[in-house]
Amino acid sequence: MTPKGVSLNPNSRKTKFARRFLCALSQMRNPRPVSSSNDEEVRKRSHKIKIAAYLSMARTVGSRRAWSRALLFKLRTRARRHNMMIGRRSLCLKKKRVIKNDPQGELSQTNKLRHLVPGGKTMDMCSLLEETAHFVTCLATQVKVMQTIADHFDK
Amino acid sequence: MEPNLGTIARSISIRPNREETGLESLQFREEFHRLMIVPPENGSSFTALLELPETQAMELLHSPHSDKGVMVPFSGDPLHGINDDNKSYLPSFNGNLTFPSNKVLIERAAKFSVFASGEHSPETSSVPSDSSANLEKVKSEPAETDSNPNSSQLLVSDPTVNIKNQRPEKRKEREKKGKGCTKKTKIEISQDAEKLPYVHVRARRGQATDSHSLAERARREKINARMKLLQELVPGCSKISSTALVLDEIINHVQSLQRQVELLSMRLASVNPRVDFNLDSLFAPESGSLADGNFPSMVSPLLWPEIPFNGNRQQHQQQWNFDALHRPLWGREEDNHTFITMENSLLSYDSANSASLHSNQLKMEL
Repeated sequence: MTPKGVSLNPNSRKTKFARRFLCALSQMRNPRPVSSSNDEEVRKRSHKIKIAAYLSMARTVGSRRAWSRALLFKLRTRARRHNMMIGRRSLCLKKKRVIKNDPQGELSQTNKLRHLVPGGKTMDMCSLLEETAHFVTCLATQVKVMQTIADHFDK
Repeated sequence: MEPNLGTIARSISIRPNREETGLESLQFREEFHRLMIVPPENGSSFTALLELPETQAMELLHSPHSDKGVMVPFSGDPLHGINDDNKSYLPSFNGNLTFPSNKVLIERAAKFSVFASGEHSPETSSVPSDSSANLEKVKSEPAETDSNPNSSQLLVSDPTVNIKNQRPEKRKEREKKGKGCTKKTKIEISQDAEKLPYVHVRARRGQATDSHSLAERARREKINARMKLLQELVPGCSKISSTALVLDEIINHVQSLQRQVELLSMRLASVNPRVDFNLDSLFAPESGSLADGNFPSMVSPLLWPEIPFNGNRQQHQQQWNFDALHRPLWGREEDNHTFITMENSLLSYDSANSASLHSNQLKMEL
């Protein structure tokens, strides 16, 4: 129980992310008036949760990293767009998905990686790899935390 | 400036050998080193020079004095000063940004060599056929620009000491990045203490020596180091040797992680009504500090199984109280929501989820 430093220091990112994510989750129900019954609702909400997860991870990492910066920027602009016109949002998302799926067959691996890592399109190879490394670790912790949360709530 | 680099580098590379042979060039070098000791006093003036806009400073540096007395006083320090300057502004771009400054130095050094070659033009032609040691020096030269370590180690001890004292930090930084050290011979390592930061890689015999290929080699080594790091991160990737496969593996890993995130968010979305209430019930005791024991016993072992929990959580509570996010706000709402209707949406939501409320009460009792 006592060793706060021991438990906090190595897991700081994890715990911070968990805190933020739980926060976001519990906030998420405010704008949603109706309980989710149909599929559309669930899909929408899962999307929201996904974004919340990424956002909270990016916030935990802060603006030190290029990928988190890019992610934050992207989400912020998306949120702004969402606020401006809700109707067009789904269209934009669909477009993006299409773009993501298309080039995977033909482009080289680095370009794939560029598409995967947020903000990777503007990086050179060195920083791309570095950011990828950091991004992978963060994603892994994110998945772990989400897994534990989901397991917990499934019971 | 770019296209000139190759020729400049070549002209510099000729210099040391020429100096070994020519008497006048010896004098020249002594003068050079005498003037190199000066810079510590000149340093302030030079940094003052750096305060100027870059273009102006460059102009000052380039101002066409063929006179040694005017030119050389800058030579010891600028390398240090400019590098520091660049670092303070853009610390992350070590290799790339110090390069222009080196170009400046290279150009200046080129002027010297031109100056000298006016006197010793016949000797320059005989140089390339020298021994391998000479060749080594020749190759290393373009990187070193004006600090000229080979000769300075032999003749003048002071400037090298100065430079060494000034640079250990940079050296450490470079070593942290851990590139390029493997390729160096012993001589090179001893010289490396007074190297410019971007020169991680030295040309071995038979490798290209112009600064472009040097930089390219440095870049490749960097990439390899990152690749190795990534290989360690991605499971099942450490045994693969080819970079293409490794990249494939990394991509797959990232994609699978993202897919996992998606799946998990789906899962969370499907159970969300309960989640929401659960969170409320879990966070409410925190904000209200009613039942601290309740929360850790319920969540913590599940969320962070490997962490000793109470202390951790309590710290979080403190943080929450301090960083006035939205968190305290809704905490209050949760406390009150049964009595006061703060928001319609809240109320409707609660009424809609009364069933889940029941289940959670059951959970609480458990």
